[in-house]
Amino acid sequence: MKDVSPYSCCLPRAISRHAFLRAALVLAASPLLRYVPVEAAEGLEVSEIAPGVFVHQGRYEMQSPENRGDMANASFVVGTESVAVIDTLGSAVAGRELRAAIRSVTDKPIRYVINTHMHPDHVFGNAAFKQDNPAFVGHYKLARGLGSRAERYLAINKMMLGDQAFEGIEVILPTLAVEKSTTLDLGGRNLVLETQATAHTDNDLTITDSATDTLFLGDLLFSVHVPTLDGSIKGWLALLDELRQKRAARVVPGHGPHMMQLPDALDPERRYLATIAADVRQLIKNGKTLEDAIQTAGFSERDAWKLFDQYHVRNVSAAFAELEWE
Amino acid sequence: MPLTSWSFAAGAAALSALLVLAGPARADIDDWKLLKQQAFGDRAIQSEDGMVVLEAPQVADDAALVPITVRVPPEVTQKLKSLTLFIDKNPDPKVATLRFGAAAGTGGERSFSTRVRVDSFSHVRAVLETEDGVLHMATRFVAAAGGCGAMQAKDPDTETVDLGKMIVKTFPPALDSNPIWSAQVMIKHPNSNGMQLDIHTASIIPARYVSKVIVKRGGDLVFDMDSTFSISTNPNFRFSFGRGADNDLDVAITDTDGTKFAAQSEPSGS
Repeated sequence: MKDVSPYSCCLPRAISRHAFLRAALVLAASPLLRYVPVEAAEGLEVSEIAPGVFVHQGRYEMQSPENRGDMANASFVVGTESVAVIDTLGSAVAGRELRAAIRSVTDKPIRYVINTHMHPDHVFGNAAFKQDNPAFVGHYKLARGLGSRAERYLAINKMMLGDQAFEGIEVILPTLAVEKSTTLDLGGRNLVLETQATAHTDNDLTITDSATDTLFLGDLLFSVHVPTLDGSIKGWLALLDELRQKRAARVVPGHGPHMMQLPDALDPERRYLATIAADVRQLIKNGKTLEDAIQTAGFSERDAWKLFDQYHVRNVSAAFAELEWE
Repeated sequence: MPLTSWSFAAGAAALSALLVLAGPARADIDDWKLLKQQAFGDRAIQSEDGMVVLEAPQVADDAALVPITVRVPPEVTQKLKSLTLFIDKNPDPKVATLRFGAAAGTGGERSFSTRVRVDSFSHVRAVLETEDGVLHMATRFVAAAGGCGAMQAKDPDTETVDLGKMIVKTFPPALDSNPIWSAQVMIKHPNSNGMQLDIHTASIIPARYVSKVIVKRGGDLVFDMDSTFSISTNPNFRFSFGRGADNDLDVAITDTDGTKFAAQSEPSGS
């Protein structure tokens, strides 16, 4: 039985996609081996950011056949008895690659699959772990949120991922719903799960690893990738104020680098949301409409984020629909 | 990360695909002929004659929340009798019918805006009846799909608590010489169309939606509207009205459960 290797920060645990692509490019340059399918890559790159804490960094992209929904961070924590997975990427195909990466590190049973919230890029890999018969763990409102959007999420992802990367995707709702907080014992370390008030969504869950003081924030923290608002801008800003007071050895964002430090990690996201809120409130005060707002609010943030053009207008619409009731 | 939004081009492609997934396209069937007959009988309708302008997005970001605006250009000096909005392919194609009253105003640009659900690629129509009894129509095609079944509330618990909350605002024109003011009426209401699933009971949420809106300035009618569930959750209306001695509005709303809601405008500029 393989055991957890000694702590080695950010050491890739499997053939990295980057290294593979580099190798593929070299091969492609040779006249004899021109065709090397990207799908031949085995395993995802995962980094051990703290002893027994592994993070795969997703790409800053929309889902596509090429990225197979590998577009959010996914983590796993290895205890002396069992393993917990935190988010499973955006397809069963990517989920299986994540499982392979776990299996390259440890043979311990995967007892828990935790979803930080309902979005497909965090939950659509769940099916890859059915064979482990784990408890699927989420905020108690995750089932309602995902259940009522499932049909739409499936249709959109089928179209954007293509048949090959869509294969095997299932909507798997939590079998263990967290009401307020729950502690999971992995052997030698506990994961403390806490539900949060409506912010990024109405079903955000944070996870703290007792052994390494690592805080997993899910999509409550975006870095580089523009934040996406599907809950409450007021709630999110209030929660960021709370999170600023927290201490943790490191935090893992839902989208962004493998790990970051509090409180600085929160600043760009806070600035982005506060800018939208301020701009939208001013427009509402001046009697302007939603259509006016989506053309101007928050555009000073445009150069600070990736995927701004894909998500910003929707963020402003959501903020407007909330703040017009003040 | 919500998969509810995407780039414009990807969105158009996604919507096309969704339409294909939804089954045989009905886009080739002309529903309007029948709708027109039901609503207006054999009366002639002048199409795109410039008396009424309809603004709607070509591709909707969110099919459950599609902003539409009807404008009557300031060159049109007649009083207005009625305005009817249609979305041909919606389960109930008639979105709303407004009958205008003495306080609807003349002498400037008149307008009406709301947010609607669009269930599949469809023509959206505004039919305006002027005082002389002539019907004028403006038509736009909107690429959007799935707006009726989508659950739109981001935080359903908060929405339930606030049901019935209303905001009514008035906005004076930039120039005092302009006799046309504008106003906004908002109500927290799910406007359930009987097509949304309750995940806990695995049953359909029964239809309950705003069916009547009456807006008055002083005792004078601005408009009296019959509406359907094609209006989005948390119905939102912006409209023009004629300046009066005082410009406070009274709004009375009734939903299909028979529940009545009422509100007055906040002092303007507040």
